[in-house]
Amino acid sequence: MAKEIIVALAGNPNSGKTTVFNNLTGARQHVGNWPGVTVEKKEGSCNYKGYSIKVVDLPGVYSLTAYSPDEVVARNFIVEEKPDAVVDIVDASSLERNLYLAVQLLEMGARLIVALNMMDEADSRNYRIDVEGLSHLLGAPVVPMVANRNRGTEELLEEIIKVAEKEVEVKELVISYGQEVEEEIARLERLISQDGELSSKYSPRWLAVKLLEGDEEIVKKFKDVKAG
Amino acid sequence: MRSIYGDEAETVIADGRYGFISGLLKDVLKKPPIERLTLSDKIDRVIINRWLGIPLFLAIMFGVFQFVFKLSVPFMDWIDAGFGWLAGLVSGIGGWGGSLLADGVIGGVGSVLIFVPPIFLLFIAIAVLEDCGYMARAAFIMDRVMHKIGLHGRSFIPMILGFGCNIPGIMATRTIENPKDRLTTILINPFMSCGARLPIFVLLAGYFFAAQAGLVVFCMYIIGIVVAIIMALVFRKTLFRGVSSHFVMELPPYRLPTVKGVLTHMWERGRLFLRKAGTIIFGVVVLVWLLDYTGALEPIGSAIAPVFAPCGFGQWQAAVSLFFGFLAKEVVVGTMGTLFAAEEGVLGGAIAAQLGWTPLIAFAFMVFCLLYIPCVAAVATIKSETNSWKWPLFAIFYTTAIAWIVATLIFQIGSLFVG
Repeated sequence: MAKEIIVALAGNPNSGKTTVFNNLTGARQHVGNWPGVTVEKKEGSCNYKGYSIKVVDLPGVYSLTAYSPDEVVARNFIVEEKPDAVVDIVDASSLERNLYLAVQLLEMGARLIVALNMMDEADSRNYRIDVEGLSHLLGAPVVPMVANRNRGTEELLEEIIKVAEKEVEVKELVISYGQEVEEEIARLERLISQDGELSSKYSPRWLAVKLLEGDEEIVKKFKDVKAG
Repeated sequence: MRSIYGDEAETVIADGRYGFISGLLKDVLKKPPIERLTLSDKIDRVIINRWLGIPLFLAIMFGVFQFVFKLSVPFMDWIDAGFGWLAGLVSGIGGWGGSLLADGVIGGVGSVLIFVPPIFLLFIAIAVLEDCGYMARAAFIMDRVMHKIGLHGRSFIPMILGFGCNIPGIMATRTIENPKDRLTTILINPFMSCGARLPIFVLLAGYFFAAQAGLVVFCMYIIGIVVAIIMALVFRKTLFRGVSSHFVMELPPYRLPTVKGVLTHMWERGRLFLRKAGTIIFGVVVLVWLLDYTGALEPIGSAIAPVFAPCGFGQWQAAVSLFFGFLAKEVVVGTMGTLFAAEEGVLGGAIAAQLGWTPLIAFAFMVFCLLYIPCVAAVATIKSETNSWKWPLFAIFYTTAIAWIVATLIFQIGSLFVG
């Protein structure tokens, strides 16, 4: 029996997420809806080196707030289903914008792999990207790709297995938000840690940051648990 | 805790993340010292420039209406000649059958069909602007204005679609996440002048404003936009308070539109107009002819007409046209065609002569047609998209009230100057 790995694909719209999904899964796809919302849910699978890899395509989003159903769906899947690996497809020719999502995924404690797509486009603009340095600073593996020419797919699969098997460590990213906000975060973290249910499900720091961002869904959950 | 930090904490955290990213990129990303601008970037420097953007947008829209109006004249003359020839053929037939054919069918449907050229040309122009990537820029340019009225650029795309037809415009609001933003955008969409209103404008502007016709039609579109903006502002301050959400807008690269793509888009929208002319408009003009022939129409019109007296067009014929215009706005012209038993070429003259309209009255009437009651199909779409009868009913009454107020103001204030 092949060992099953669950992988979530995240990424901004227009980052080539669908192409990567097709490269990974070929024709073995299934389209449905996420429960309760009219957001399309695509799933596919592939076999690689004795692993059965199930790929879930998350909606294309720029951020992980609670502003749109797409963002909530993407976030809840990662927090609640805890996939073995999360691949964030990043457009290498517009890193500033695309990394915002990667940073948020890492703050959530997702087991992230950054797929640096459209490397050819970045090259043609004479961008020099230090892939190893990026990987080191983010604390997550980075795989350069050109998805529309099916380059880098194999390397991505290798990395997915390594992360899922915990051969590679992905660190939860901690960004310092300055003294004032940090004091608040610390205070909230203490409150959250006292609650067994919350702290087993969520990273206390991430939850604290989300509460400070005034994230309505998280605030609601927090209140429910506090009341209950 | 949240009351102290509130939005501020959210901003501080977002800034923190961007700060982290830009610090990180300093280390790992080397861009060429002078970045070669792509052609799209160069064009965008002008097109979406902070100061040039809006004037250019207005200039482009103005150019579009000039193009549509000037180029459609010869085609309209041909169609007019064709219907004139048909009218000559049926003139020999007497009795009610001859009257139905000549006054009802040729006068009514003919006066609507003649607007196929400007409508199709407008759809071609919109398709070109969409396919080349300009429409996304227009939304971007307007984003700043939209923010001022409490909406964002995403609300502008449904509004632009509304220029073609309000129904896809209203349906396109599905991409707006915030329910308040969405409802506001739905309620102001009917002010965007759809293709069905164009025949009214072309007919009246063409006759009463001759050389300035293009400018006057352009004015109608601008008045629609301005009223929409004002109403959005009012709604955001009263019915739907709250902040609008932020989003990032993608600007696709400029592309040369393909002939095939443009024609496909034009046909997708244009065929709806042709289908309407063949079904609902045909049905209504026959009904109008029947009511007119039996003498039932004048009492109906006379009963409504006094309501429109302050707007300058208190004649029963105008009232009847507006009444049936609820079914589809082209019907306003079709009804007039039937009532005056005239096809388009002479309809403007017939209206001026028999109703005694001045350019000012024609202008007030056009504005009323622009703003009043959304057509039956648009009302049904609002019902299905909001899933209640409350908002379509609200839309019917508030748009008509605004139309009446604006038309009255134009006529009354205009009368002081024109005499």
